[in-house]
Amino acid sequence: MGSIRDQTAIVGIGHSAFGRFLPDSQLKLAATAFKAALEDSGLRREDVDGIAIHLGWPLGVDYDRVAESLGLELRYVTQTWTHGRFVTHCLQHAALAVAAGLADVVACVTAISFTREREMLGGPGDAEGTREDGGTHGEAPPYGLTAPAGGAALAMQRYMALYGATSAELAAVPMALRKHALMNPLAVMKKPLGLDDHQTSRMVIDPLRLFDCCLITDGAAVVFVTSAERARDLRQKPVYISGMQGMRTGRDEFIFAPPGLGINQQPTARMTPREIDLECYRMAGIERADIDGFYTYDAFSPLVLFALERFGFCGAGEAAAWVQGGRIELGGELPVNTSGGLLSEAHVGGWNSICEMVRQLRRDAGPRQIADARFLQWGTAWGDAVILRGAQA
Amino acid sequence: MSAGAKPLPRVTPDNRPFWDACRAHRLDLPWCRDCGRPHLPPGPVCPFCLSERLEWRTASGRGRISSWVVVHKDWFPAFRADIPYNVVQVELAEGPRLTANLVDMRNQDLAVGLPVEIVFDDISVEMTMPRFRVRG
Repeated sequence: MGSIRDQTAIVGIGHSAFGRFLPDSQLKLAATAFKAALEDSGLRREDVDGIAIHLGWPLGVDYDRVAESLGLELRYVTQTWTHGRFVTHCLQHAALAVAAGLADVVACVTAISFTREREMLGGPGDAEGTREDGGTHGEAPPYGLTAPAGGAALAMQRYMALYGATSAELAAVPMALRKHALMNPLAVMKKPLGLDDHQTSRMVIDPLRLFDCCLITDGAAVVFVTSAERARDLRQKPVYISGMQGMRTGRDEFIFAPPGLGINQQPTARMTPREIDLECYRMAGIERADIDGFYTYDAFSPLVLFALERFGFCGAGEAAAWVQGGRIELGGELPVNTSGGLLSEAHVGGWNSICEMVRQLRRDAGPRQIADARFLQWGTAWGDAVILRGAQA
Repeated sequence: MSAGAKPLPRVTPDNRPFWDACRAHRLDLPWCRDCGRPHLPPGPVCPFCLSERLEWRTASGRGRISSWVVVHKDWFPAFRADIPYNVVQVELAEGPRLTANLVDMRNQDLAVGLPVEIVFDDISVEMTMPRFRVRG
């Protein structure tokens, strides 16, 4: 069976404004982003024959309503439901569909108004948390534990106890991402974030403070994936999908913890990534050291630490120390989420960071440009990954 | 405006014996007769060996705190008066972990590793919820 490496490429990106309580409907945000992606790529609406919807029901818009309202005619659909974890899944399935010949151009669409729909994110409005087999972040509503923040807090508390990490060390993550956001006119957050600001901010769920938790915002992003061959004829330099690996799950996994942390039924052990945990690099034909920038789903600052450890950038329990001293800032050894992430740019399900990766590899990131960016990795705390390669690499 | 009731545990075909045992003030876990391991959350088969030969047995009720949080945000109106309240995850002596809360404990004294034992809270005639208290 042949490899999918470099068979597909991202050829267009588009987005709406990002902000709180935007007046536009989610469909309008999607339409704005879709048209911007058409303009960016040089594609026509009729060229789009596949769709990958990330944040569908119950919060966001579903594939059929999007296709109807934009007047699309599609022959391939994939959709996931309302959890940020599926961002990689959607991008991967767009690539898989194109590589398998099920679609020529797949639009990855995420349009969400978190500010209007926030009741569903936790508390009595969270239907998932109270269904037969419960929520998917370790929720325990009868005890008052709810929302993704609950699971992230459980994980970070244990991480701190096992490895001696502190909240002040954790602050390096939101502080770095805020610095990046301040270089990004699209970002919602406009003020610098110092250690004192972080440490005096209100506790949301101990040990997570306000600035350890992602923004609640509205916005949309659209990314077009097509074949590498088709990409050559379009407006922008192609950004190739070079390597991927799927989402991990099982008894040894908790969505917001690295393997071996000991949350829910995970065993407690200091884990070293095995070959299978790093398969995305092998598919891309590179080493981890070739990665010029790392992008991850930063709904909570600990998730950045866990993702770095999961892919072996540092050892188990070492990430809190590893991110000190500007290592993950632009200009540092491994810049992370260079447009500000969910923590400081906006919550667009992570697609804001995917768009930023594309800009970087097109050498179009302006003051945020990583010099000589060739390979960028999107990788999550739950082990899935996509490696993008710029046309110059 | 009324804060409403706190959500009740969801009783299902797989976990009913767990909640029935709680009503009798016992901590029962599903044990596998083939590989000998208990598991949580209660599932349809043994997650270790896939056997369906499961047997509910009474556990010691003892364990240690493996993680804890303190909730400051009022996600639940029904919990507003309890803020800031703790939620703990306990590693039972038998291995599986159980999420509940710790009673009779100041939030600032919470710590991973604290030895705990189960207590039972009859919240209604139909429902008893397990909680933990520090042991020893």
